[in-house]
Amino acid sequence: MTFTQSIVRRNRLAPSYIIVTVLLIALVVTGAFVSDRFLSWRNVSNLFQQMSVLGLASLGQTFVILLGGIDLSVGSIVSAATVFLANFLEWRPDLVWLALPFALAATGAIGALNGYLSVRLRVHPLIVTLGMSSIIFGASLSYRKEPGGSIPPGFDVLAFGSLWGVPIPAIALFGAFAIAGVWLQRSRSGRSLYFVGGGFENARLNGLPVTRITTGVYALSGFCAGLAAIFLVAKTGVGDPRIGASLTLQSITPVVVGGTILAGGRGGVFGTFLGVLLVSMLNNLLNFSGVSSYYQWVLQGVIILIAVGLRDKGGES
Amino acid sequence: MTAPVIRLTGIEKSYPGVKSLDNVDFAVAPGEIHALLGENGAGKSTLTAVMGGAVKPNAGTIEYLGRIVAWRSPKEAQAAGIHVIHQELALFPELTVAENILLTEQPRGPLGLISPRARLKRVQTALDSLGVSIPASARIGDLTLADQQMVEIAKALVGEPRLLVFDEPTAVIAGREVDLLFDNMRKMRSLGIGIVYISHRLDEIFEVADRVTILKDGKLVGTHPIGSLTRDGMINLMVGRRLEQIFPPRLAKPTQGRVVLAVDRLSAGDRVKDVSLSVREGEIVAIAGMVGSGRTEVAEAVFGARAVESGAISIDGEAIPRRGPRQSIGRGVGFLTEDRKAQGLFLGLSVASNIVAPALDEITRNGLLDRSKESDIGRRQIGDFSIAAPSPDTRVGALSGGNQQKVLFSRWARIADRLLILDEPTRGVDVGAKVEIYRIIRSLADQGVAVLMISSELAEVVGLADRVVVMAQGRVTGELRGDDVSEESVMRLAVHTQDRSMPGTIQ
Repeated sequence: MTFTQSIVRRNRLAPSYIIVTVLLIALVVTGAFVSDRFLSWRNVSNLFQQMSVLGLASLGQTFVILLGGIDLSVGSIVSAATVFLANFLEWRPDLVWLALPFALAATGAIGALNGYLSVRLRVHPLIVTLGMSSIIFGASLSYRKEPGGSIPPGFDVLAFGSLWGVPIPAIALFGAFAIAGVWLQRSRSGRSLYFVGGGFENARLNGLPVTRITTGVYALSGFCAGLAAIFLVAKTGVGDPRIGASLTLQSITPVVVGGTILAGGRGGVFGTFLGVLLVSMLNNLLNFSGVSSYYQWVLQGVIILIAVGLRDKGGES
Repeated sequence: MTAPVIRLTGIEKSYPGVKSLDNVDFAVAPGEIHALLGENGAGKSTLTAVMGGAVKPNAGTIEYLGRIVAWRSPKEAQAAGIHVIHQELALFPELTVAENILLTEQPRGPLGLISPRARLKRVQTALDSLGVSIPASARIGDLTLADQQMVEIAKALVGEPRLLVFDEPTAVIAGREVDLLFDNMRKMRSLGIGIVYISHRLDEIFEVADRVTILKDGKLVGTHPIGSLTRDGMINLMVGRRLEQIFPPRLAKPTQGRVVLAVDRLSAGDRVKDVSLSVREGEIVAIAGMVGSGRTEVAEAVFGARAVESGAISIDGEAIPRRGPRQSIGRGVGFLTEDRKAQGLFLGLSVASNIVAPALDEITRNGLLDRSKESDIGRRQIGDFSIAAPSPDTRVGALSGGNQQKVLFSRWARIADRLLILDEPTRGVDVGAKVEIYRIIRSLADQGVAVLMISSELAEVVGLADRVVVMAQGRVTGELRGDDVSEESVMRLAVHTQDRSMPGTIQ
């Protein structure tokens, strides 16, 4: 292959976006045939409502995967945060202003610990976050074995309310992704994330503060899990130590479907957003068609394999 | 001449839009070392792949041992006795030498179980006959690259090969290791094995090859007996233009410029013991020595990427207080590492972002990146260093090796206005790009930068450096300057205290 050719081939628009977009269009068309209510404003806002928890968790996961790592503690952190929020708010419903920032600070701190430990102990983040996940899960269970607690009246506006007709969770989700996109593309720290993801040792030799960046990025993932927990607890109204269990792996799906490579250094939040939309729309459509949730899992797996299998692997090695 | 081991006639190979091989004839006689020469992209690898069965030609015939063949897979070619020893070795680092060598034909004992004892014995015999003292029970990952290469050769020999292809074997080894490799190649030649040898190092080709075939842009330039060629003639044929001089002129007399780097009695780890050296403004100082002599470790310590046990390192007369790459970069020190993929470039990112990586401060305003300034810097460097990239947004991974190396140079040349450390600055780039890189290095020195260079290529050390510091086993064994610098004098110092009591475990 000539030099120019290889440039042309590798520099065209990342085909993951195209594949996912084609799949999305296919879903929309199918949905329109299945039911005329599928494209109704009501269902669309319902869809965005459902997307927020997965979307926020996947957003955090995107940062970590871009860094070349992975965060397996997302689910446990979300569960623990719902348990804390629901139980604390049942005890002192008036202290919402304190509970929310505290929850976010705590989840961020857990994430930071994940990142710091993996750099300092030189242990793969897969192991560190797996260990952390187990610790948090066990701790939440020892505190509350069953779902419990409650939220103050009006708190559920975060899940079900809307502003100028747009669901609040959708606003939060769009806002978070937009900020993240600008941050990654335009800020110094966002760029540094790509550098560390492109090669840890390499980044160190370029004078980048690798420990600080890694710690910060995992903290961000924890923070996003905390945000997801707030919207989740607003929706369910209870704290459940098991509710996030499947969220860990689910949060990885949109990231890889969206074209971010597991080796790190390449990808972005736009792809993840499309991935979240794809997964959520698929489940929404299958609910509409009355397909059992078991098949939803099967189809979700098929979609992952299609999206990742068909995309251009050029330069991924 | 006796019937060739392999004869390729009229080989053509096209990829969409490009002819990688265009009507190439090539033949290797038994008991011949046949060098294959050409710039990167000339078609050497494709030709090798055609011989080894990894690539099917679009046209042309392959005649092997007197029969026309059409390999369906590399495995088929290998079974017939063709072994290609790639630059990137195909060994399993977690397995032992013996397990690697007898990978597919493990000797069986009673009950059909693998017999480790028989395996060790067979492999040790094979290794001993190569004259290397590598224990058959050693784990591959614990060996030096040179020893791993010997293991790869032993592996090929077990299959009783008729044709061996070496793809740039000396890119990762130096000095005595190269001699051992060449001795073994000559031994195999005397057994009647045909050998294809690919290297960018012309001196080695003169030393070991019998005939030379030169490719250029996928076409055959010619096949010549080694005796009929001169060094300049060879380069001329390869690049198709006359190279007046490979190396730019050195400093006329020793510089009296300020001392930029002063290393005093530095010790760091097992590899750096009591090393002292200095580099002045405008001067190119080379550290020469065998692979594993501690050259790279000195460079890492100077840059702050390696912990120092004792001794002092100062830049412009000042010791760096909290040492780390960031502090060094802040003082105008740059480090071009030897492994440009793992420790140099971010292959997934653009040319421009690679260039500004160590200097994000420069393009940051209020925490946000000034992307247009970044592009401007990228565009300027692409022009100044004649990098063949269509735009600053081109992904670095899509560039050729020589151009990737130029991207690295353009990154560090901007930042390193005091000291530039270069570790194997021309590794894996073709002659044309090398000449350009030598000019860049000299012109940086002329601008007052102190250059500390490490190279395994003696010709490069001798041709480019104003002063040469030679290391062996972690110590400085001597310093040469001016007319005292020659390949022989450097070599003598490089093997100076070399103690063979611990063979093969240097790295």
